[in-house]
Amino acid sequence: MSGRVAIAQKEWRIASRDSVFLVMAILFLIMSIASVYIGSSTKSAELKAYADIVQVARQQGGTAPAAPLIYPLEMLANIVDYIVMIGAVLAIFLGYNAFHSERENGTLRILLTHPLTQKDVVMGKLLGAIGMIGMLLAATFAFNLLLFIAVDKLVPNTEEVARLAICLVMAFTYMMMFYSGALWVSLKARDGGFAFLIMMIVWIFFSFVIPQLADTQRNYAFAISNLSGLVTKMPSETAASHLINLFSPAAQFTNLGNALLQADADNAPLRLGVLLIRQTPVILYLLGCNLALLILLFHSAKREEVLE
Amino acid sequence: MLVTHKLTKKYQNFTAVDGVDLNIREGAIFGFLGHNGAGKTTTLSMLTTLLKPTSGSAEIDGIDVVKEFLKVRGMIGYLPENVRLYGDLTVWENLVFFGKLSGLRHPGDSIKEILKTLTFTEWTNAKVKTLSKGMRQRVGIAQAILHHPKVLFLDEPTSGLDPQGTLDIRNILLKVNADWGTTVFMNTHLLSEVTKICTDVGIISHGKLLIAEPLNQLEQRYSDCKSLEEIYFQIAGGNEV
Repeated sequence: MSGRVAIAQKEWRIASRDSVFLVMAILFLIMSIASVYIGSSTKSAELKAYADIVQVARQQGGTAPAAPLIYPLEMLANIVDYIVMIGAVLAIFLGYNAFHSERENGTLRILLTHPLTQKDVVMGKLLGAIGMIGMLLAATFAFNLLLFIAVDKLVPNTEEVARLAICLVMAFTYMMMFYSGALWVSLKARDGGFAFLIMMIVWIFFSFVIPQLADTQRNYAFAISNLSGLVTKMPSETAASHLINLFSPAAQFTNLGNALLQADADNAPLRLGVLLIRQTPVILYLLGCNLALLILLFHSAKREEVLE
Repeated sequence: MLVTHKLTKKYQNFTAVDGVDLNIREGAIFGFLGHNGAGKTTTLSMLTTLLKPTSGSAEIDGIDVVKEFLKVRGMIGYLPENVRLYGDLTVWENLVFFGKLSGLRHPGDSIKEILKTLTFTEWTNAKVKTLSKGMRQRVGIAQAILHHPKVLFLDEPTSGLDPQGTLDIRNILLKVNADWGTTVFMNTHLLSEVTKICTDVGIISHGKLLIAEPLNQLEQRYSDCKSLEEIYFQIAGGNEV
């Protein structure tokens, strides 16, 4: 156990001195904070516009329209997009070179002549990443929450805190998925640049290509239904787009995150318990993907070819 | 201390190490000689538990390197060829890390002692990436001997070093061997190094061990040869330069 912890500490120390990683982490933090500020300002502007309309309506002796439904957490929802984009790249950056650099520096051979197994080395690296990604996400959410309280003067209730906490855990699961994938590629690839390229292709495919395919299908289905007069409102998903999105952890996490942070009109009014029951397949899907990658990683680490 | 029996490593149709039988006594400094690709590093990798033999066996201090590899790892030190260590960490941080891996709870005292022995204390807080190759090699040796291993394995420890660097490494190895009784197993193709430091010598060619015996015994047997170089070429074949 102490060997694994030592490796985790070493990973942490090296990452904290990597300028590229630091720049990306700070960018992630700043962008997510900025997005909350923008989201919060937009909502404030909406509320102000509503107040103006009510005032004008009253002056003219008319009836005021119904107040817009505001879910405070919705202002934090942009974080989900940043986790899908920058968070995943950050996780890939942490993992893509993890084994290759050890091989290149001759340190993997030294590590494995200490009383450690290859699994211990993988576990140590995972522990390091868990610490780094966990801290980064916790800091991001904490900053955003503070900003949310400071700007909007709103103190979240217990359910909102629980929604945030679950979103944090799922964001962590999502990022760890990319880290584990990058670590596995690093274990297999003999070139760091190639490993990074592979992981970027994977990221683009899962985060953009598949969701775009699903969107295209949805738009096409809507256009056909609309022309034939069957449907007049764009559906959030069709059966086919839902099926396509099943292949994208990014789409699944985006939907889950938006639902948890009440940015999705269909799910926003639901109580947390009901929402979690509805979202159980998605939560299991994300956890399952992670588990599958971990099994693959540990299986590959058993083989001695990792050295060469 | 180190015994192998018909140690063999095959890669598909290629036999890298072919039935090597070694018996190295405790406290020896063993120079393992051979051309490039002769099978030196593969043998060393099997002895250091990094590779599993295809057949045969190896024991260090009576412990099987395959069956009880974790025990073996706890009693050996290893310096690979051209090691670069963790460049972004300081010398101290690198050594603390490897000390902890070796099971040292408080590696600080041991590190101070080793750095003093290596006359390296002034570089303690330097990042490893700022060090010259010779200096890095010294840090590499420091990590390998931190826990006072019973057997120290080195793969071409002086390759690419300047004369001063080579002399420093040689002195360190002699000191470790004399002070702690550590057995040293050294892969090299620098014959001059072998004559200056080794007590025993082995020659491998095309995966087969041609000879393994004390250096003085070998020199007596080949008394007609003027140097170890001549002996080496007579045994291993090839053209003398």
